[in-house]
Amino acid sequence: MFTRIYQQLAADWVNLAAALLAVVIVGGGLAYVLLQPRLFLLGLKNLRRNLLRTMLTAVAIGVLAVMITTIWTIIYFIDLIQTERSKDLKVIVTYKWSVPSQIPMNFKDYLDPTSPGLLLKLREPPTDQGKPLYGKDDFMIWSFFGGTTDPQKITPDTLIFFFVMHPDQIIPMMDDLGDLDPKLVQAMKEKPQACLLGKDKLKAINKQVGERFRLTSFNYKGLEDLDFEIVGVLPDGRYNASALMNMEYFNAAFDKYENKFKAPHPLAHKRLNLIWIRVKDRDMFDRIGGVIEDAPEFNQYPVKVETASSLIGSFLESYRVIFMAMKFLLVPGMLAVMALVMANAISITVRERRTEMAVLKVLGYSPNQVMLLILGEALFVGALAGMLAAGLTFAFFNGLWGGIPFRIGFFPVFRIPESAFLWGLGIGAVTTFLGSAIPAWTARSVKVSEVFSKVA
Amino acid sequence: MRFRNPLLNWIAERPGGAMFALVGILLLLAMLAPILFYLTPIRKVPLVYNLRNLQNRWMTTAVTALAFTLVTALLTGMLAFVRGMDRLIEASGNPGNVMVLSDGATDEAFSNLPPFVAQDLPSDVQKQIVSVPTDPRDPGKKTPLISQEVYVVVMYMIPNAPPGSRQRRFVQMRGMNDIAVAALVHEVKLARGDWPSPAGVKDLGNGETAIEIIVGAGLARTFAADLGKSELELGDTVTIRDRKWVIVGVMEEASNSFGSEIWTRDAQMQKYFGRENSYSSYVVRTENAQMANLAVKEIKSFKRDRTLQAYTEREYYAKMTDTSKQLSVAIYVVAFIMAIGGMLGVMNTMYAAISQRSKDIGVLRLMGYQRWQILLSFQFESLLIALMGGALGCLLAYLAVDGQTVTSLISGGGGGGGGKTVVLRITFDLTVLIVGVIFSILMGCLGGAFPSVSAMRVRPLESLK
Amino acid sequence: MSVPILEIRNVTKSFTRGGETLTVLRDLNLVVGEGEFLGIMGPSGSGKTTLLNLIAGLDKPNRGDVRIGGQAVSAMNEAQLATWRTRNIGFIFQFYHLLPVLTAFENVELPLLLLPISAQKRREQVLNALDLVGLSDRLHHRPGQLSGGQQQRVGIARAIVTDPTLIVADEPTGDLDARSAVEIMNLMDELQRGLKKTILLVTHDPRAAEHAQRVVHLEKGQLLESAPTEAALATAVSAAQ
Repeated sequence: MFTRIYQQLAADWVNLAAALLAVVIVGGGLAYVLLQPRLFLLGLKNLRRNLLRTMLTAVAIGVLAVMITTIWTIIYFIDLIQTERSKDLKVIVTYKWSVPSQIPMNFKDYLDPTSPGLLLKLREPPTDQGKPLYGKDDFMIWSFFGGTTDPQKITPDTLIFFFVMHPDQIIPMMDDLGDLDPKLVQAMKEKPQACLLGKDKLKAINKQVGERFRLTSFNYKGLEDLDFEIVGVLPDGRYNASALMNMEYFNAAFDKYENKFKAPHPLAHKRLNLIWIRVKDRDMFDRIGGVIEDAPEFNQYPVKVETASSLIGSFLESYRVIFMAMKFLLVPGMLAVMALVMANAISITVRERRTEMAVLKVLGYSPNQVMLLILGEALFVGALAGMLAAGLTFAFFNGLWGGIPFRIGFFPVFRIPESAFLWGLGIGAVTTFLGSAIPAWTARSVKVSEVFSKVA
Repeated sequence: MRFRNPLLNWIAERPGGAMFALVGILLLLAMLAPILFYLTPIRKVPLVYNLRNLQNRWMTTAVTALAFTLVTALLTGMLAFVRGMDRLIEASGNPGNVMVLSDGATDEAFSNLPPFVAQDLPSDVQKQIVSVPTDPRDPGKKTPLISQEVYVVVMYMIPNAPPGSRQRRFVQMRGMNDIAVAALVHEVKLARGDWPSPAGVKDLGNGETAIEIIVGAGLARTFAADLGKSELELGDTVTIRDRKWVIVGVMEEASNSFGSEIWTRDAQMQKYFGRENSYSSYVVRTENAQMANLAVKEIKSFKRDRTLQAYTEREYYAKMTDTSKQLSVAIYVVAFIMAIGGMLGVMNTMYAAISQRSKDIGVLRLMGYQRWQILLSFQFESLLIALMGGALGCLLAYLAVDGQTVTSLISGGGGGGGGKTVVLRITFDLTVLIVGVIFSILMGCLGGAFPSVSAMRVRPLESLK
Repeated sequence: MSVPILEIRNVTKSFTRGGETLTVLRDLNLVVGEGEFLGIMGPSGSGKTTLLNLIAGLDKPNRGDVRIGGQAVSAMNEAQLATWRTRNIGFIFQFYHLLPVLTAFENVELPLLLLPISAQKRREQVLNALDLVGLSDRLHHRPGQLSGGQQQRVGIARAIVTDPTLIVADEPTGDLDARSAVEIMNLMDELQRGLKKTILLVTHDPRAAEHAQRVVHLEKGQLLESAPTEAALATAVSAAQ
């Protein structure tokens, strides 16, 4: 858990700021407790005396902290995904000019390290004997094959959208499928019609592992119906609604068409969609990317090269307004409400305890100590409520669904990072401080004489 | 119409703004009236008592109300965005238009059709196609409202993009045979410029040529920003697919889904984006929604050398409400959570007020005011705080967001992506206002409930000791 | 013999607190006639508050009944009691208990808002009451702007504005300086003599109690009569003449 926190701190300045803030708060809090134990205890007693109100305030802070944690997790991940991470840099090759990306299948021969047609410039040295710049486990091709189990009915229950690939490339290249059972991969290689489905997809089409179904293609109309056998389930997580099939089977279908009609399928020359190449660092990315983009072999269907985060970034562009609103309107708005709730609660308390504070002053407590008393009470409630709330959110969402189930496009659930505890502590403390600052200052300046003359 | 007075101008610019304001105020009064009437000083704790107390503790009142202001402002602001989305979808698509797509396609981006003529459609459908006069010199000559369209989402390299920032952008392009007719089919008007010439290509002078395009208003703004200008001018060029395209017209700022699109001749698009002899959709105009529905049925059951998919345009766009539905739900959840904060704030305030005024309660009880009257009195006070805050919040949101245009994605959920980027106008209309007001009332009532009950239970003579 | 305004018959009231039963009033009997000025004295803890609760109808006795103006208070339900209280009892308190946010006029008007009379009539009655207590020039002052004595006079005005059957004064001079106290007590005399109001004065101030015609002592839940006061004698004398 701590390695994760460390990673998160390194990745995002907000996390780092929250961590530093947490250190300051906890440190300050401990100092307060140790140096002014009586004040602290007095504060605690006061909180307990009006338990109802304390609880109300704590719940208000907590509830808002839950919401902010949830929203910030989403924003945090969207931001994170769009920043480069040189650890898992992939060169993604797609058609340059439009989406969806559709390029000829033979383009892979120019980029496959096991193929004799590999571009010379992708070898070191750039000769026929040169070693490819990347290995076969760093290379992958994708196609998409969509079909329906019932041509009369095209509904979510009958639609399947397959990711088409070579089974060997699944484990090395697919995110979050590195732990897939190799036996499943083996099964897919042995039987070309084998396929893997996510558990939600299985449920949707009402089938079990081991069963078969027939698919009529709709994005490559005219191909003969394909029979599939389900050999396994994809691991729980982002692939729950996905499906994987064998590239050989896919290609064989086009060959069959050509044999039957004596002419290639109209979309045969556009049936490859993506090529992935994993590289070790930015320099290699730029080098390989440059070679691919300049290669004359691709002139007829120009390709472009980008990183995964860049690709995702393009898709998220349309959601920009929504994300901006979340980040700059919603979250600050909620923080402001938190501060106001605190301000309200503390100013009421201060007004009710004017006599008490005057008495403290008469007894010799300094104005600063009186202020500290109020601040201490407030921060205790606020910081604790914030952290607990964030912690509960973390446990609830991550435990139940592995993250926040807010579906945007093809993103998995948003897992709440461990830094959430720090966020909760931070926002609880900061909003409390902002809210209680003025009332606490009022407490500090209660005039002893003024209070007593009224009573007398 | 422009006025000298900026306030009048401002009202005139926001369509229905003045109307809305008037109706809104009347509605607010209408909602408050029963409450006020209910608490007129006949056998009820006088209103003036609550009002004076709120005034007395104006700081606390203000802080509590401010929380409601924030919550309501955020709620209504976000709802206005969703409302803008919904309105766009509702208004998109002429009720008489029928879209023909390739079999199995649910979205034009994934539809592939060969070139069509009207005779390829079922004869019954052909009879229903509306024709209008298009030539001012020959009013007798009518053109059928039919449009063949190829729709591609292309990659556009942002010119002079600073390194580290976004380098490319998706842009929607629609190519058709006769753009002017297509404009009639889709009820699109030009704000500036003219439709592309029959050749569709303009000579730029220095040996270069550029393909003529029309852009939607929203896209025009984006392109202008790219070129470092405040407004896009006719004659400006953009580079797509290493080719220059010149703007000869800009669409009106209207409530349709074409605000983020480029319109041009089909031939060029097909050539440059690998769509030779391929179209995405075929749109025909029929008399009305009823006819459109019939046409859809005919087309779907029509079998020639291929089967076709057909939708009424309204249907097609209605499928895209998934995003707005999802957002609505999310907004209500968030607003509800925030409201809890506001409610707890008002609870705190009211509890404190009651404990401070317990003597007042005792006296009132001894005078003969009943418990339910005390309850109502304090409930009204919290309601008032919530309403004041809420009304201000609605006003702030209205001023801040109403009429702003933003781009967003609308999608139908579905399979692997899909969805359309559109330009929508954030609309703070009556629905949003009503939701905001009701929300405030609910928050006020719920937040004040528990404290009011505790006020009711104050024991008179004991509180007076 | 004057009509009994207040009749307390065989009233017993006990409370159970933490398993123990405490009998606060034991078989109490009290009769107050119309136009009488009765003083009730007793140390704190003697059950004065409990007795006042019963008279105001805020509590019910365990045994016996309480009648005011012939009506059995202990038998009414809450709604009936509330209405009844408005018309039949006026309270005066040691700490005045005016609503601080309302003006003198508005404070006095409060009980009238519960009665079905027109705004015009209400105004008349409020002005009359305030005139009676000598505060016509302070109508729109708030309690915060009035002295202790003036606030108590507003309290008295409020207590009489609905023309109640019974006026209960709980330590009315407890928070006042000597001079104001005298003024207030004189005012109360006038209410009794001039307006023929029945007054119940709960106090532990002997000087205030002197204004009463009859004084009873509440001790350990029982009432004990004491000798007629000067005031009583004075009344008897003037009545005989």
